[in-house]
Amino acid sequence: MSSSSRPVAGLIAPAFCFLLICFIVPVLLLLSTSLQGHAGWSFENFGTFFQSTLNRRVLWTTIRLGVLVTLSSVVLGYIAALSIVDLSAGNRGRVLGLTMLPLMISPVARTYAWLVLLGQAGVLNDFLQLLGVTQQPVRFLFTETAVYLGLLQLFLPLMILSLVSALENLPPDVVTAARTLGAGWLTVFFKVILPLTREGLIIGGTLVFTGSITAYITPAVLGGSRVLMLETLLYQRVHLGNDIKTASVIAVILVGLSFVANYVIRKLSSRKT
Amino acid sequence: MKNIITATLVPTLASTFAFLSLTTAAPARDLSISVYGASQDAYRRLLYAPFEAKCGCKLIVEAGNSNERLAKLEARKGAPVIDLAILPDYSAVYAARKDLIDPIDVSQLSNYTKLYEFARDPIGNHYGVGYTFYATGIVYRTDKISISSWKDLWGPKLKDKLALPDISSSQGPMLLMMAERAFGGSDPAFSTGMDKVAVVKGGVVSFYSAGTELVQLFQQDEIWAAVTGRFNWPLIKRLKLPLAWASPSEGDSGGMNVMVVTKGSKNRDLALQFMDFWLSTEVQEKLAAERIDSPGNAAAQVAPEAAENLTYGEDNVRRIHLVRPDIIDQQRAGWVNTWNEKIKP
Repeated sequence: MSSSSRPVAGLIAPAFCFLLICFIVPVLLLLSTSLQGHAGWSFENFGTFFQSTLNRRVLWTTIRLGVLVTLSSVVLGYIAALSIVDLSAGNRGRVLGLTMLPLMISPVARTYAWLVLLGQAGVLNDFLQLLGVTQQPVRFLFTETAVYLGLLQLFLPLMILSLVSALENLPPDVVTAARTLGAGWLTVFFKVILPLTREGLIIGGTLVFTGSITAYITPAVLGGSRVLMLETLLYQRVHLGNDIKTASVIAVILVGLSFVANYVIRKLSSRKT
Repeated sequence: MKNIITATLVPTLASTFAFLSLTTAAPARDLSISVYGASQDAYRRLLYAPFEAKCGCKLIVEAGNSNERLAKLEARKGAPVIDLAILPDYSAVYAARKDLIDPIDVSQLSNYTKLYEFARDPIGNHYGVGYTFYATGIVYRTDKISISSWKDLWGPKLKDKLALPDISSSQGPMLLMMAERAFGGSDPAFSTGMDKVAVVKGGVVSFYSAGTELVQLFQQDEIWAAVTGRFNWPLIKRLKLPLAWASPSEGDSGGMNVMVVTKGSKNRDLALQFMDFWLSTEVQEKLAAERIDSPGNAAAQVAPEAAENLTYGEDNVRRIHLVRPDIIDQQRAGWVNTWNEKIKP
């Protein structure tokens, strides 16, 4: 036993050292900054953070948008993924390629594209006025809807890809078997497909939620100063206020939220089994 | 014409100085300066390189956002790495209060008396010398609205068409002061101005913190008016939209940047030489000609095309009401808190 574990330890060592130096130590340092009060260690910075109504509002906006984007991407993701796995092998590759295409374009470019679409002089407003639906340009930018759309477009491909790979591992006959035994489509989905693609849902959901709450460019460009999220607040605290303590509190909250999200999604999807 | 003369004269002078200084060359020294990040290539060409040639020393430049740089100065208090720093006037007040900088012996600056009166001792006790300043005013779409007073920003036509600076940006205090004045308030903490901004907040498209955001907002037809520093005007004007810099009856506000010398600097003499060189009419004219800094030196002449992009000319200078830097220093934290409660979304 010990003879086989030694080479394993040796093989893990380089990756472990890298993670230790470049990830674990900096994260611990960050965590410790947030716990440094005026007189030694305390939760004082967290207390101050949550006392501010602005901060609480921003936290709530962040969680709300994160949950909305995740839920929407689950629904849209399952629809898309179920259709994709039904395609012939060649078409499946092509459609998956198209799904991945946006991931190869910089998020900055993708987010700026929304400005062209949603602006007062943008394509959507021109179209609505041409049809006579509206007389005046409507404000789409700098609203939660704009941030929601931007985030959903940004992260939906991650959900689709996770679900497609999970669905591909689904034993081919289980759906037919369930149908033969008289289950309706909804029952098949909730009793068969969902439990068997749980891992993909957890991975996709965590990626989408974590991505949404930590995205900077999308809320900064599409939300402006009207829709603040934790990440944009963090940037403001560091860059304009030079307030490293509050910034590290926000960073810790963001890391915490990611873990909570992973746990919640795991619980929710396993309860269905 | 003036530009051509200065363009040829200054390098000639600089190289003459360089030649003269060679004969008395002491061992090479370093002068560390802390400056804003913008236009560093031009500064190197017009200011740093000629000075290095003149003094036979080497400039070590730390460039960046003023908040960050101020934090670094504070972190190295007592053993400064930086000799000379460029700061907004209110940050210099803070630096003086925290004992990070020393008063400047202005008798050593040959160009001192050429400065505008208000630039000579803006923060008191000769802690800083103003080398450039700018107006903060209103840019607006001439085809959509007209602006003759700061109160016009509160008009119904600008609902959902207005951008204002965030309190955390350098332009925030200027907005508060002009709102205070326009609506007849006289509180040094600008409480009337704050309340007025809170009234209009629902119709403000963006409380911006980076001026570059305005260019995009004007371009996308999201806004028709914005309060901004004159330094953003060249960028906005480039859009080729019907835009103008307003001349409201209350005048404009504005801000100033100052040079300070750190306490404990080992290169005080060099720092003062550099300061004097930067304040010289020649250097100020060159920096103005390239539209980088409006001259704080009143003797500097600027051609009309360049002046249009700067804050220059007797009329423009007289229109500016600077916010007292000590007031910004005292009130800033309170403003940010009130702003967060009353104005943030």
